[in-house]
Amino acid sequence: MSTPLIIGSVAYTPNVVPIWEGIREYFSSGPAEMDFVLFSNYGRQVDALLEGTIDIAWNTNLAWVRTVAQTRGACRALAMRDTDTVFRTMFVARTGSELGGLEQLKGRRLALGSQDSAQAAILPIHFLSHAGLGADDVDLLRINSDVGKHGDTGRSELDALRAVLDERADAAAIGINTWEAIGRDELMPGAFEVFWVSPTYSHCNFTALSGLPSERTDPWVRQLLEMDWDNPEHRPILEMEGLRRWVPPQLDGYTSLFEAVREQGIGARW
Amino acid sequence: MSYGVVLDLVERVAAAARGTTVAVPLHGGTDAALLETVAAWCAHSGNELVEIRDNTAIVRRGRSPDPLAELAPEQLPGTRLWIYTNFDCNLACDYCCVRSSPQTARRALGVDRVRRLATEAVEAGVSELLLTGGEPFLLPDLDDLVAACTTALPTTLLTNGMLFRGSRLERLRRMDSSRLTLQISLDSANPGLHDQHRGAGTWQRAVAGIRTAHAEGFRVRVAATLQSEHIVELTEFHTFLDSIDIARDDQVIRPLAHRGVADSGLELTRESLIPEVTITADGVYWHPVGADHADQLVTPVIFPLREAITEVRRRFTEYRARENAAAQWFPCA
Repeated sequence: MSTPLIIGSVAYTPNVVPIWEGIREYFSSGPAEMDFVLFSNYGRQVDALLEGTIDIAWNTNLAWVRTVAQTRGACRALAMRDTDTVFRTMFVARTGSELGGLEQLKGRRLALGSQDSAQAAILPIHFLSHAGLGADDVDLLRINSDVGKHGDTGRSELDALRAVLDERADAAAIGINTWEAIGRDELMPGAFEVFWVSPTYSHCNFTALSGLPSERTDPWVRQLLEMDWDNPEHRPILEMEGLRRWVPPQLDGYTSLFEAVREQGIGARW
Repeated sequence: MSYGVVLDLVERVAAAARGTTVAVPLHGGTDAALLETVAAWCAHSGNELVEIRDNTAIVRRGRSPDPLAELAPEQLPGTRLWIYTNFDCNLACDYCCVRSSPQTARRALGVDRVRRLATEAVEAGVSELLLTGGEPFLLPDLDDLVAACTTALPTTLLTNGMLFRGSRLERLRRMDSSRLTLQISLDSANPGLHDQHRGAGTWQRAVAGIRTAHAEGFRVRVAATLQSEHIVELTEFHTFLDSIDIARDDQVIRPLAHRGVADSGLELTRESLIPEVTITADGVYWHPVGADHADQLVTPVIFPLREAITEVRRRFTEYRARENAAAQWFPCA
């Protein structure tokens, strides 16, 4: 029996435990056994990956960028969720705000999520910059809750939406997952409307260092990609983790975040 | 309407472990539009709205597991169908769960209804019929009634085994021993305990009945009803049953239920009992142990049987969901 691969994941919800126990069980009957280790934040997880404590990290997009920076590219992405390939940031305002685009945020108040959230803070600033708005053009309300978890809990985005409802902000930037979680504009008619949607970008991936032999990772990735939404034993895991199927990584989807991190001078150890 | 409730729902439910419930205060009151929004969010997000109470929404993360799916296949309500043929009895056991005695009214189902039950049981997916009473061998048409059952499904007939003589023995001989198991009540390895509850001399006659049934080619299962203090005295009992050729799988020990004329025993309620669909002349009951008690009456309407089984399953699911919610939300203030 080969040594199990050790996968790291950040425990941003108690459901991380049943998710990974389910995934471990799935791999127990195949050629690529695995176990998992949970971390309280992505900083510790990436440190553990670099130190060799874990073989593979289930990383956010920012943790991927951080790993690339610290290894000078000596790492590789193995797989991601289908939903990670089409992530977007949504700029929302109260219904009837008549905001028509990012440039109209000039002089307005924008609520952002946690400073280490790619979707709710780092990329929104990047998108504003591309729309010609600098740091002094928009009044930013930063809501830094659950820092270290890269926005996984979604709490800061909900607080950003509360700020809009309470008229402490004119708009908020949130991930499409939070927009879906609140039922888009369907469950609260008259509350929010989307006035700008970002291009798609990539979110999480399984990250390994280049030194981990492909003989060890290939069987694991092959089996991962075989998880089947129509298999009743696999479905609960996929539902809890928020995907319908695992897919090969789409690295082009990280370009905007690499640019944003560089533009904003975000350190390699975030 | 308070839009914040949806944000609160997302935040609190997301932080909850799957299967647990959380209480989300409804600061905006409980007007119809708000409640509709809460229900719509739960449906949209794949979570379960357990209930609204005290301006609070109780929401389960994910869906509650299907209690029926958690049962062993043989426990699924409607897999076995219990039929009370009658309630009168030649004995007056002091722990009888349905208060049977020689003075008890017969309340017989009758062969026509039993035949229809057997037919509909096959269609409803029942795999075994169990006939009980009262003492079924008091019925003059028991052989016809048993034939209606054994023609349809494998059948077990519960009896005290004391009446296998004369015309009743002839009726027994007319029954299909390849499709019928006799379950005879015997509480101890010697007359003491058995006769104490059932009457002097009953042990000897029950053992004789077991031997007669064996001699007539029937499989015999022995069922003992024991109070908790006697459960520890089983070794001698099993050894005795071995000696009269009762297979170990056919040696059934069941605890005394505090039902009927029993003045002690397990307290059994619908909520604490996995149901076994039970038919009497009075209707459909939750479980054979409560077939003489109004609290276990599911419906007085016996037919169609499939609907009765569906109703029992629906109530079981409802009780389990309510219990699970109560277990996880127990406010002290």
